[in-house]
Formats: sequence, C-alpha cells, structure tokens
Amino acid sequence: MIELKQIEKNYRRGAEEVRALRGVDLSIAAGELLAIIGPSGAGKTTLLHILGCLDQPSKGDVLFDGVNTSNMPESELVQLRREKIGFVFQQFYLIPGLSVFDNIALPLLFSKKQASRSKILALAEMVGLEHRLDHAPAQLSGGEMQRAAIARGLVNDPEVLLADEPTGNLDSENSDKIYALLRSLSQNGLATVMITHNTELAARAQRTVQIRDGLVHP
Amino acid sequence: MSGYLKLAGKNLLRHRTRSVLTMLGIAASVGVLFSVLSFNKGFTEGLAVELERTGLHFMVVPSGCAHEVAALVLHGAVIPKFLDTKVMEHVTATAGIDMATPILVAQLPDQQRGKIDLIYGVDMSVLSAIKPGWEITGKIPDQDNEILLGYEVAQHEKLQPGDQFSTGGGANLLVSGIVGLTGSQDDAFVYLPIKTAQKLLDHPAAATAIGVKVTDPTRMVEITDALTAAVPGIQIVTMGEVMNSISNLAASARALSLAIVLIAILISAVGVMNSILMAVFERTQEIGMMRAVGASRWDIFRIILEETTILSLSGGLVGILISILGSRLIEAFVRSVMPFVPSGNLISFDPVVAAGSVLFIFIIGLCAGIYPALKASKINPVEAIKG
Repeated sequence: MIELKQIEKNYRRGAEEVRALRGVDLSIAAGELLAIIGPSGAGKTTLLHILGCLDQPSKGDVLFDGVNTSNMPESELVQLRREKIGFVFQQFYLIPGLSVFDNIALPLLFSKKQASRSKILALAEMVGLEHRLDHAPAQLSGGEMQRAAIARGLVNDPEVLLADEPTGNLDSENSDKIYALLRSLSQNGLATVMITHNTELAARAQRTVQIRDGLVHP
Repeated sequence: MSGYLKLAGKNLLRHRTRSVLTMLGIAASVGVLFSVLSFNKGFTEGLAVELERTGLHFMVVPSGCAHEVAALVLHGAVIPKFLDTKVMEHVTATAGIDMATPILVAQLPDQQRGKIDLIYGVDMSVLSAIKPGWEITGKIPDQDNEILLGYEVAQHEKLQPGDQFSTGGGANLLVSGIVGLTGSQDDAFVYLPIKTAQKLLDHPAAATAIGVKVTDPTRMVEITDALTAAVPGIQIVTMGEVMNSISNLAASARALSLAIVLIAILISAVGVMNSILMAVFERTQEIGMMRAVGASRWDIFRIILEETTILSLSGGLVGILISILGSRLIEAFVRSVMPFVPSGNLISFDPVVAAGSVLFIFIIGLCAGIYPALKASKINPVEAIKG
C-alpha cells in the first residue's frame, strides 16, 4: 500500500549538512501493524513524516497505492493527507478550547465533510470515550487524551494511521490500552505505523524495524 | 455558525483577558471615531436648525470679523463697536425688508458691586424666535424695567423671578424670569429690552447688530448689495456665512480629533496584529497538527483571519454601544470646552455612520490580520510538530 524506494533525506542544521535518511526501502501493507524503533536522532520521525506526505524526500520515491507522491504539488498532498492518512502524536495536540467531540471532528472541517454525531459517537465508543464527548481536553487523563487523538486520526477513514510515540507520555497501563487499540485497528484492516521507544510494545507488533544511522534494519 | 468561525472564536476564548483587552482597544477607537462623526453631524444639523429658527436672513454689523458676528447671533459675544442709529433707518427703508430688529450687546461696569454685567438688549417680542431652545422660569420681560437673567448670573446673585437686580448706574430692575442652564455663554448674560439697554449704556438708539428678515429670500443678494452701497462702514453677514464661520471653527477641532482617532485606530490595529501574532506563535505546534490532519495553508490563513474579524467586529459593535451610552458625557464635555455650540442634541447618531465605522474597523482589522495569518499559513508542519 505504501512503498518507500531508496529514500534519502538531507537537511541543513546551521552549517552542518544532516543526512537523516540514507536510502531507506520499506513497504507497508494494509492491515499491518509496524513498529519502528531506534535511538533518538536516528531518523524515525523524519521517516514517519515522509510516509505521511508531510515532508518530501531529498531523493527516492514514495508510492502511495502505486502513485508516486514525491513530486506531487502541495494541494494534492493536502488532499492525500485528508483522505488517506491519520496522524497521532506523542503530545496529543488536542485543542484546549474545543470539546472532545469537536477535537475528534476537527479533520472533517478541513475535508469539508459534515461532522455527523453518529460517526463521532461510534469512534468515541470504539476508543472508550463516549461518556467524555462534551468534556474539555483538560478534564481528560493522559490515556483518554491519546484515545481522543486516535479517534481524531480515524475520523476521515484513513488507509494508514501514523503514530509518533503514541505511548511516550503514558504510564504502562495506559500504554497497554493504546497498544491494544492500535492492534485492533490493524486487525480490522488499517495499516498502522507506530514509532516507539518501548521495546516491549514493539516486540508485540506484527513487524518491527529498527532505524539506525538513517538506514532501516529488519 | 461555520466551523472555522467557531474554531476562531474558541481560540480567542482561550486567552480571554488578552482578547478582551485587544477588543476594548478597538472599541475605544471605534467609539471615538463614531462619536466624532456623530458630533460633526449633530453639530451641523443643530447649527442649521438654530439659525433657521431665528427667522433672520442676515445680520447688519459694524465692519469687522465675521466670527464675532457668528458668536453674536448665537451666544451674544461683545463687539466693541456700535452701529449708528441711522443704519436702522436705512435698513427699514430698504425695499424688500420684512422685519429688522436691533440687538445691543455690551459690558456694563458696576463700580459699587465691583463687577461687570454682560447685557443683551433686544426687542423682547423676538427673543423667543432668536433663542428657540431656551427654557424660561417666570416670563419674558414685557415692561422696560424688567429683565431676564442667564442661569449663571441668577445662581451667582442668588436671584429668583420677582427679585430686584441692581446694575451699573444705580438702576434697579425687576427679574421677570430666569433662563434654564444652556451650558453656553448665554448663561452669563442679563437680557433686557433694547431701549433699557441703550439707556443704561447711554447710547440711545445704538445697536451692536441688526437682525434682518427679508420678504423674498431669493432677492437677498440684491437687497444686501443695495444696503451695503447705501450705508458705508457696515458689514452684512448672511446666516449661511454665519454657519460657515462657525463650521470652520468646529472643522479645525474636528480635523484634529479625526487625526487623533486615526492614530488610535492605527494603534489598536497594531494591538490586534500583536495579539494575533502572539497567538500564532503560541499555537505553532497546534497549527502543525492541523496541517498534518488535512488543513491547507488557506485553511490556516482563514482561521487566523477569522480571529481578527471577530475581534474587529465585536470591538466595533462594543465601541458603537459605548459611544451611544456615553453620548451625554461626551456632549457635556464638548459644551464645556467649545465656545459655540448649538442647543439641542449635539451628537446625532446615524445607523449609516455606525455601519460605516464598523465597516472601516473591519477592513482595518482584516489588514492587521493578514500578516499573522500569512505567517501562520507558512508554518512548516514538520518543524512545528517537532517543536
């Protein structure tokens, strides 16, 4: 479904030229739960951003359902993100002034779709937040916030969910809950990519790859 | 409500104090703008009504300054010259004159009491026409020894209708009435029949000015030309010229006020820009998240611009409301500092002016919002999410 071919990513940090990715080949299939591990600064997040069409590679091709996105114009990349990609972040990034309902529905605003109550309620039930829809994010626990963020990532019915250290700010009990949720999503056909420092969780994933020195190691 | 507007509104509510202060800055400048424009309209309208109510078409005065004539017509300024008695005869003898009434305004020193009375002698039968806005306690004098006191004079002398008023030269006059507070120079005058005033000044048949009404206003130029040619040393000032003179005086104050208002608006626009820019910087990661979940640059631009729109429009509306609620205070202040103000409402609220003021600040707000909105739309989502 997503295929990376010889992806390189270079950027400048002051006078220094950083080679974040040095020829990554990776493919992700529908329904697969892929864990990406690796030391800090190895290029995990850069890889995730390229997978999510947030960033463009310096070299190489990103094929999404067979379509090369490497040279796509910004407007088409935005459309692709709206329709096919869901994002989950370590810091959740829920908007404090909005209710849980409105936070989950936020991507629908940008994809110009109506936020149907039944759909949001179904997603909330799936992540166990049906009783929290009218609450503000500040009233939620860390685990609940991340579940709300996952529901937000799913609201546009994406083909792939990209999670950047989704359990990084959570205790082990909540980390297990989030992992179980991601696992069940992948079992239902959603390709799920999770960056994690938690080797125990990574070991339970369907497939784990390690990034080291800008290269992917199985 | 559109989702964008709701999101923008919720964003503003996250920093209520900052948003309210920014909005109040806009409200203050719009309020002042609306007040100045409304004052301008009310002043012009009030002046026109007051001049029209006098029923006079022009004034005959000694050659001099038109501004003094304007002051004389409306508020009794003292002009240190008198018209010769023959002028009145020439005026009344001129063809096309319907009515001519002499007015004598002068200072009358009272050595015994160590003060100077300001007297306004006029034919009492035309007083209510010349001063249409007055509220009088008691009655207008109908005897030569009766007078009408301005509000301040009555207060200062502690006099009521029926009391005696002594003036320079040892004359004792009967107070027949007291003029209610006008907030103008009218409050400082003693009004009396012109014959009495002439006698007290020892200038029989003298006048400071002659108010004239013509039978046919379309022939006014012809009449004034004839009068000017017949009597040397006089100046004729039409009510239109009087209005222009007073309007010109007010215009310079108005221009200054508008300049200050525009500076205030500029400052409030910078305040809006600063406030929204701060909000953008604070929400950099959030904007990165929104880009990741499908927001385009235009979506981000629109959200930020709608925040400025909300601030500008709410500030504009609150400013109009404050201006309307505070109009009495503004009016009292203006009356206390401006030498010539017409009676009646000085501030005339017009929905079109209100809508124009709000539209103006809306456009200014939009301009102020463009830079922060552009800045926000150019945030690199990758950098933003990394923090």
